[in-house]
Amino acid sequence: MLITGIKSRPTYDELTPLSSGHRHVVAAQGSGGAPSLRLLSAMTPEQRALTTLIYSTESFDGDNHLAALTTESVAGLIPQSSNAAALETLREVLSTAKMGTRLYLAGSEGFIGTAMQVASSFGMDSDEVLREQAGSLVRRVWCAHCDTYTDNVTMRVFECPGCHLNLVVRDHYSSRLAAFQGVKADGEVPGELPDIDEELDT
Amino acid sequence: MSSTPTFKTHETYTPEGEFDYVNSRESVRRSPFPFPDDEYMYSMNLEPHVPTGDGALRAEFDIDEHYVSECRHRAQMLEDMPGVHYAALPHMLEAQWDLLEVIFEAYARDYPEHFTLTKNGNEWHWVNRLLQIDDTFTFGDPSTLPMDPMEYATRQAQGEFIVLEEKDNDLVIGAGMATERADYSLRFNLGMHFYEFHGPVPKLHEMGILDRALKFLLRMKPGHPVRRVNWSLTVNPRLETSVETLPDWAPDRATVTEENAGESVYLRIELQPLHRLPRSNAVVFPVRTYLISLAELVEHAPDWAKRMHRALASLDHELVDYKGFHRYHEHAVNWLAKYDDGAPLANGYPWLEGGIQPGE
Repeated sequence: MLITGIKSRPTYDELTPLSSGHRHVVAAQGSGGAPSLRLLSAMTPEQRALTTLIYSTESFDGDNHLAALTTESVAGLIPQSSNAAALETLREVLSTAKMGTRLYLAGSEGFIGTAMQVASSFGMDSDEVLREQAGSLVRRVWCAHCDTYTDNVTMRVFECPGCHLNLVVRDHYSSRLAAFQGVKADGEVPGELPDIDEELDT
Repeated sequence: MSSTPTFKTHETYTPEGEFDYVNSRESVRRSPFPFPDDEYMYSMNLEPHVPTGDGALRAEFDIDEHYVSECRHRAQMLEDMPGVHYAALPHMLEAQWDLLEVIFEAYARDYPEHFTLTKNGNEWHWVNRLLQIDDTFTFGDPSTLPMDPMEYATRQAQGEFIVLEEKDNDLVIGAGMATERADYSLRFNLGMHFYEFHGPVPKLHEMGILDRALKFLLRMKPGHPVRRVNWSLTVNPRLETSVETLPDWAPDRATVTEENAGESVYLRIELQPLHRLPRSNAVVFPVRTYLISLAELVEHAPDWAKRMHRALASLDHELVDYKGFHRYHEHAVNWLAKYDDGAPLANGYPWLEGGIQPGE
């Protein structure tokens, strides 16, 4: 489990079946396939029969659990080849969801965060959602200067693809934006960059 | 009550306007100077916000000689970067009206020569003579105002305003008017919980200050505001130092020398009078900012300058880094040292009995 000193970073859970649920929706991506399989094996056959599984095979690490997930007997498995498509599917599924729906998210922090944005837009709160971070700790970063979001950031300093400034990633996370904060790295003296070789907590 | 200040109308807070900003002697000496001791210690230092003295703590929401120019600056910043400096989550409308009422009632009561609020049921008539505004609107009906109630009210108010909603024994940022924020992003922080938005501040968590502060704030009742002061340093009299515009203002930090520190380094005092709002049960966290250059401090408040020298010189390095002045901290300390004869100074905030006075 991910433990850091970053106070604004979400605390992640371990996916376990929520017995209060009348319907279960699992949205996972890449490495998140492993915790999803573990969750399904912990479910009763009745819970599995009430479970819809959305899985994106887009992965920074190249982890793909689709074959194993296909063998699970759930109400429905919807594979997607991109995280964006998986989120769109999640939006469709939640738009018809009733009270008692429980949501399980697994994968990269960026995927979980953006999926949580979808869940929040339907008024779901943290009591109804479990989140398990899986795979490498790549970060999703928001550029404070041009509003561009960059996925899979691994280095403390990187070039923003939007405004081409060198950004330093601050250890400060916004759940609403589902991203860490990136600000101009050489703001005080142009060209004077902080330690550019530092890897984030990947 | 102290004499009515002469309101400056053409001051600027930007390099384009060549930082045409000056404090009168009275303006410096009435400010809520934030260093009660030679050594600065982090603390919650909350106290009841009751009228005290004839300076910045007399009124519920203080205004001073910079009121008109600051409101103009705010209007300009909002126009330059729409959506960046003002934001409100959709369910915050009731709290917005609450805030409008609290500000307008306080201004009308404390400064009747400048503001008049007349209520006829929900039909309100608001007159702001300093900004030449004379409007009528229906309280609670947003269609009778040209913009959100909070934006309307805080465009006419000095300082920034963050509205926190109470949710599951926590406080969450629901709305903000923040054209004067010190290195944070309103859009980024919107929706954050109490511990989250204090995340980057060193020591607070370890010292247990946040736990106590949150418990205290959750017990606040309408009509019983509390206040605290905080401070930082800013290079040049910039009010707007948000994360978004960091590329514009951060280079200033590298321009400070031991010679020019007196004119270029400003003490940034934040007076924070917190209120529980009556209908929405939200908490408003206003930050009224006072910018005073080190040279102005030496000239108009020499004992405060000595105190500031000692507090800055002994400041914890982690705080120097967090507040972002490691690059010029030493220059500011050395500049101030020339005006500190080492004489013993009174302890306590200046507005408290026996506290440190500005000096002659």
